[in-house]
Amino acid sequence: MPSATVNKPRPSELLSRLTSAEPEVKVRALREVKNQIIGNRTKKLSFLKLGAVPAVAGILADSIDDVTENNNCNNTNNFLVQSAAALGSFACGFDAGVQAVLDAGAFPNLLRLLANPNEKVVDAVARALRMIYQSKLAPKYDFLQQKNMEFLISLLNSEKETVSGLGASIITRSCETNLEQKALFDAGILRKLNSLLEGGSLSQRDASLESLATVFRNNPEVISKFAGPEIGRPLSSIIDLAKDRYPRTRLLACMCLIVIRNASPHFLQDIGIKTKLIHILLELLDDPGQVGDEAPFAFSSLIAQKEDLQKLALEANAIDKFHHHIKKGSLHPRRYEGILLALADMCSKLESCRSKFLSLQVLNLVADALTDYNAGVRAAACICLKSVTRSIKNLSAGYFMNETIVIPLVQLFLDPSTSVQVAALGATSNIVVDFTTRKSIFVQCGGMKQLVQLAKSMESSVRSNALWALKNFVFQADNRLKEGVFSELTASLLSSLIRDPEPSVQEQALALVRNLVDGCINLIEFVFAEDGLILGAIGRQLQCASKAEIGIQGMYALCNVASGNEFHREAVMQLLFTQMGDKNQSFVVKFLQSNDSQLRTATVWTIVNLTCPSSPGAPCRLEKLRNAGIVSQIKNMVNDPCVDVKVTIFFIFRICFLFASLFWLT
Amino acid sequence: MASSKKVIMREEWEKRLNHIRIRKEDMNKLVMNFLVTEGYAEAVAKFRMETGTEPDMDVAMIMDRMAVKEAVQCGNVEDAIEKVNDLNPEILDTNPELFFHLQQQRLIELIRNEKIEEALEFAQEELAPRGEENQSFLEELERTVSLLVFKDVSNCPVRELLDISQRLKTANEVNAAILTSQSHEKDPKLHSLLKMLIWAQNQLDEKATYPRIKDFLKATLENPAV
Repeated sequence: MPSATVNKPRPSELLSRLTSAEPEVKVRALREVKNQIIGNRTKKLSFLKLGAVPAVAGILADSIDDVTENNNCNNTNNFLVQSAAALGSFACGFDAGVQAVLDAGAFPNLLRLLANPNEKVVDAVARALRMIYQSKLAPKYDFLQQKNMEFLISLLNSEKETVSGLGASIITRSCETNLEQKALFDAGILRKLNSLLEGGSLSQRDASLESLATVFRNNPEVISKFAGPEIGRPLSSIIDLAKDRYPRTRLLACMCLIVIRNASPHFLQDIGIKTKLIHILLELLDDPGQVGDEAPFAFSSLIAQKEDLQKLALEANAIDKFHHHIKKGSLHPRRYEGILLALADMCSKLESCRSKFLSLQVLNLVADALTDYNAGVRAAACICLKSVTRSIKNLSAGYFMNETIVIPLVQLFLDPSTSVQVAALGATSNIVVDFTTRKSIFVQCGGMKQLVQLAKSMESSVRSNALWALKNFVFQADNRLKEGVFSELTASLLSSLIRDPEPSVQEQALALVRNLVDGCINLIEFVFAEDGLILGAIGRQLQCASKAEIGIQGMYALCNVASGNEFHREAVMQLLFTQMGDKNQSFVVKFLQSNDSQLRTATVWTIVNLTCPSSPGAPCRLEKLRNAGIVSQIKNMVNDPCVDVKVTIFFIFRICFLFASLFWLT
Repeated sequence: MASSKKVIMREEWEKRLNHIRIRKEDMNKLVMNFLVTEGYAEAVAKFRMETGTEPDMDVAMIMDRMAVKEAVQCGNVEDAIEKVNDLNPEILDTNPELFFHLQQQRLIELIRNEKIEEALEFAQEELAPRGEENQSFLEELERTVSLLVFKDVSNCPVRELLDISQRLKTANEVNAAILTSQSHEKDPKLHSLLKMLIWAQNQLDEKATYPRIKDFLKATLENPAV
């Protein structure tokens, strides 16, 4: 055969040959299409756009009919093999292809063909189905139906690797709920998978590990049944595979063990296995391929939220290793993202990890990642920054409030990806809690104005995170800074944010007000601007607060307002009472009766500020509160379980005692 | 240094070696494994007949694989690609690096046969998209395309691409990928054994002076230097 054909038919020409009446022409065109698309994503896309998939699916369907009519066997089988292979290739790692194959109705035909007597046909069909099941778009497999479970069992029992591999990939893709996991266990599937682990080929072992992990996920009951009476044995085969010679097997075994650890407090908790897992995963980073790309994600799932593991990983020099890999540069974006997220998890709780991170100068490399072309990398860099900036020691020293970090971070506020914006806001929220005088740097690079812009975003997560950052920014900031923020925000924007449809936005807006008015008495005037827009919004929002957190922030805001002068206190009183109207109970009483101790505390503190004896209007206000039944409600709280509440109520009793005549008359 | 190392003379060494028993069946299996992995289908069949050793793979499968390897070695890359896809379409679909190297070899063959216009078209239509899909191929792509720039390719900086060894490299890569897809190890066990021997000798060199094997083809014991 010549090494290169001179006149290759154009794709559209090939496509028309697929519908030719002559079988010879048709099968050659089919084979040509298949050979052109395998390995070639660009060609897959262009053939897809020309409508190749329905044409090939049609050939598959016609050939099935020929099988049933017992037409020319060899020819038919050839058509079946080639069309199944082509469909499988369209679906391989290519979601648009998977969708096209499903839309063309080929899926049920492929399933039927698994029973075909010809081995090559079954192989091609099983591969095609496995490609489909590797995609999120695969149809959901209903394990709970008896005949489906039987079909799955028959797949796993098959001698053919392609078919048993299909069975495993169906489990990996479709098994989601605890009910399904239990059904698979009850049907004996796990025993079958375990036998493939111990006696199967390389690909069967790998497929088995993935399926087992799926069935174990978040299901301690199934895990303990599997580890069962032969205690340790099934688990020991998985542990052995973590030391296998093939890197992919090691990674999959580790991932399975991690799923077991995370689901069940009884297994794999000793320090030996923990250390082993950490070392194996760190060593897998050296793999240049996909295994090395995925290793940091497995590492994250092992250590996330677990201080003991983070400590062990620190001792195993995890941070040094990650640093070493990032320094090398030109990383695959997936690997880069994984390493940054792993660093974020390492530094999420322990100051010792953050110190190590900072001492190795990893911060500069992470700052570079903020401008990476890949959105996942940018977001991961922000998440990493958020973890590291929890270091109070370094925050207080103003370590992070510098241009290398702040400028690229502020630029990410305008990032096209929402998840990057939100992640950048998260990191910013920590950085702006700066106790030095360097907060002005943030204003100078336009950060504060950007935050206010983001508070108007269409995305509620962006709005609430922007407000969070502003809230932290004004925390104990000087008056000038606070005035700057308020004039940029304006009373009308802030009051509309307090009344935002999203509860998380309401909460952050109220907390922002709380921090703004805290401190100097002049700042309290903010809530009275434009005819008391903000104060009114607070009142209305407290009346219909959908969750305790909103009540807490709102009450603390009022508490701070009431710490001002008489005018301020009277205004708050009026607010508490105008909202009462008709038979509706005052939200004050509702808050005092709340299950949330923080809400009760905030409310009683507000009352303390309103009835503070040094103010001339206090007795009058106390009388009003008594008439509204609030004082007697407070008296009932004398045995409140929360210490903060009890102590505050003591103050109120002292106040009442000072106005003895009023108190004893109740 | 030499004085602190233990010295083992040849007689003593040979006596110890003679105590070790190696089974004939094991050696036969090693030979069979070598023949299967390297793809000598006829030799596999003959050896099986003569010794009764079972190959760990169907002879037919070995022959299929050899057809692919030979096609690459003869420069018939398109034929090789078609054969691989008939064997198992997943191999090239899930091995972007291998696929790129095969396409690269196709381009090299076009240039070798002085089909320059076709080569240019091929580079643009088939190879350039590979570089777009995967940035790590760009450097190699540039090297290959630069062959088109030189008038005298046999003297240019990238002339080793035209060497037969380049074909062999690609052929071995395909062979290994096919073996892996069949869940078979891509290197013969003999290979690992020899590596183990060299490593073990290197380790022992630090502790003792003994009759070591220098020439693996002859496997003769060299007298220790005293």
